[in-house]
Amino acid sequence: MTDTIIEVRNLTREYQMGAELVRALRGVDMSIYRNEYVAIMGPSGSGKSTLMNMIGCLDTPTEGEYWLNGLEVSTMGDDALARVRNREIGFVFQTFNLLPRASALHNVELPLIYAGVSGRTRREHASGALSRVGLSDRVDHRPNELSGGQRQRVAIARALVNEPSILLADEPTGNLDSTTSEEIMTVFEELHAQGQTIIMVTHEADIAAHAHRVITLRDGRVHSDTKKAA
Amino acid sequence: MINLRPVTEGVGIALDALRSNKVRAALTILGVAIGVMVVMTIGSMISGINNGVADIFAQLGPRTFFVFRHFEAGITVDDDEDRWWLRKPRLSVEEADRLEALPSVEHVVLDEWAGQPIAWGSRSIARVGIQGRSVAWPAVSGGDLFPGRSFTNLEYYANTRVVVVNAKLASDLFGSLDPIRKTIRIGGVPFQVIGVFNPPPDIFGDGNQPRAFVPHSTFKKHVRQGGGGLTFLVLPEESVPVNQAIDDVVGTMRAIRGLRPAQPDNFDIVTQDKFLETWNQMTGLFFVVMLALSSVGLMVGGVGVVAVMMISVTERTREIGVRKALGAKRREILWQFLVEAATLTLVGGLVGMVAGAGITELVKILTPLPAKVPLMSVVAAIGMSILTGIAFGLYPAARAAKLDPVEALRYE
Repeated sequence: MTDTIIEVRNLTREYQMGAELVRALRGVDMSIYRNEYVAIMGPSGSGKSTLMNMIGCLDTPTEGEYWLNGLEVSTMGDDALARVRNREIGFVFQTFNLLPRASALHNVELPLIYAGVSGRTRREHASGALSRVGLSDRVDHRPNELSGGQRQRVAIARALVNEPSILLADEPTGNLDSTTSEEIMTVFEELHAQGQTIIMVTHEADIAAHAHRVITLRDGRVHSDTKKAA
Repeated sequence: MINLRPVTEGVGIALDALRSNKVRAALTILGVAIGVMVVMTIGSMISGINNGVADIFAQLGPRTFFVFRHFEAGITVDDDEDRWWLRKPRLSVEEADRLEALPSVEHVVLDEWAGQPIAWGSRSIARVGIQGRSVAWPAVSGGDLFPGRSFTNLEYYANTRVVVVNAKLASDLFGSLDPIRKTIRIGGVPFQVIGVFNPPPDIFGDGNQPRAFVPHSTFKKHVRQGGGGLTFLVLPEESVPVNQAIDDVVGTMRAIRGLRPAQPDNFDIVTQDKFLETWNQMTGLFFVVMLALSSVGLMVGGVGVVAVMMISVTERTREIGVRKALGAKRREILWQFLVEAATLTLVGGLVGMVAGAGITELVKILTPLPAKVPLMSVVAAIGMSILTGIAFGLYPAARAAKLDPVEALRYE
């Protein structure tokens, strides 16, 4: 098939919660390929948030290996992880997480600032990303002047602006009504069609149904992994 | 490559935070503003005074030196030994005559002071500085005499009741009338005005204080003594080095007073260099004390900065998480909050500077002090306020930088 973008081997994550040892992930194995559209599902406590943090390079495993786009992420330090997040991953959050005082354009520029891209190039790329999600007329609006759907689009533009290897969405429709949710799913569909790899964590079956592959977790392990017939 | 964007961004965020939390920000910067204001004001006053003192001495003629009954450097603190120096003998006119006779000395000018009421017709001034001086006084004092003249030897030895008024006293008493030949009463005794003295510009306000000069002989005879004590102003002969004249004066004084070699001088010689040096020591001490006080202001401001920045970091925990998720390194987060803290204190510093400059202008208008804001104070004020921000912002910024992104993103 196509080349691997994520390779996870025996991924384990344990937390010390007071006297108790919580085993959030108990040896996850999986591979995700370029231009896949994957939904990760599972009930709460199944370890899907932990797995998402791991894939997003926000957290490092207790045991096991994680290769992202040919880099072994599992052994990296803080600053190296920050660099990988900046280059390889575009985050979309349930609560959008935009900077409230900054314009849409400035919000989208943020990852480019940390990438060290200079002023004019940054603005060009940021407005390009905003027009990809259909918001070229909202560039100077602040988040509180935008609807929920528009805010999430700004967040998607921000995730895309660094041309990441994967778009990582955590319950992207969790704070949206069903019409707006469909709208966002359409945006994802278009991005996928343009070749973007998308990983989406959700507990809503109808949202997961948009993905082309669904991985279900249970008790910290992969419970099922099904691909939709093309 | 250095990325300046975080700096401008940090400044922007800080100014935003200032705007949205006006009261909180105002309280934070108040301490810094007061600290800086104090430094600025004191700095400008001291530099003003220093310039003024240097001016006086420049006009006095750099070679003139003083003989005092007692001269003490710095600020005296009362204790058991208080006024021990009163056991030193007073300077006498006879001693001055003996010094005057030295070949290395050109003039010895007597100078004695008393505060007395002065009246002309119905106008009177409650207390005017009366100075009894020798005939040669215009030669060692700055300024000039116009209109009129100073007293002559003849008038001096006849204890004539003649007086030279300064310009301020002339205008206070006579307005625009010609003061010459008017008769005024000093402590009730009539004196004839023979000249007007225009003093050199002077920071102690002497120029702005009414003052009268009379022959020392007349002073002793007709003016009630104010206990100011006699001082000598000594002008060395032009061809003689100042140090040689000083040696001669010291030797002669010791001989007159019959001091044995082991005994210390019971009088004080003060050169202008010494005077300036002492003066600088005093203002230096003053400056250190003021600096200490204003650092207390800065410390208070700094503690405020810690508090406000801690609140800011807590309020923006999630934002920090987002920034980290988007690729911000620890260093970049640290930098952002340091810039924010430094901006806060810099604004405080600027407010303090403007206030300090305002007070300086007021001092200049309302007092004779030529207060002037020295460039050094401006640089120091800006530097100090930024340093305060960075020093006190360090802890909150480090806390922000150390946040775990997963925890921070989960923060409600």
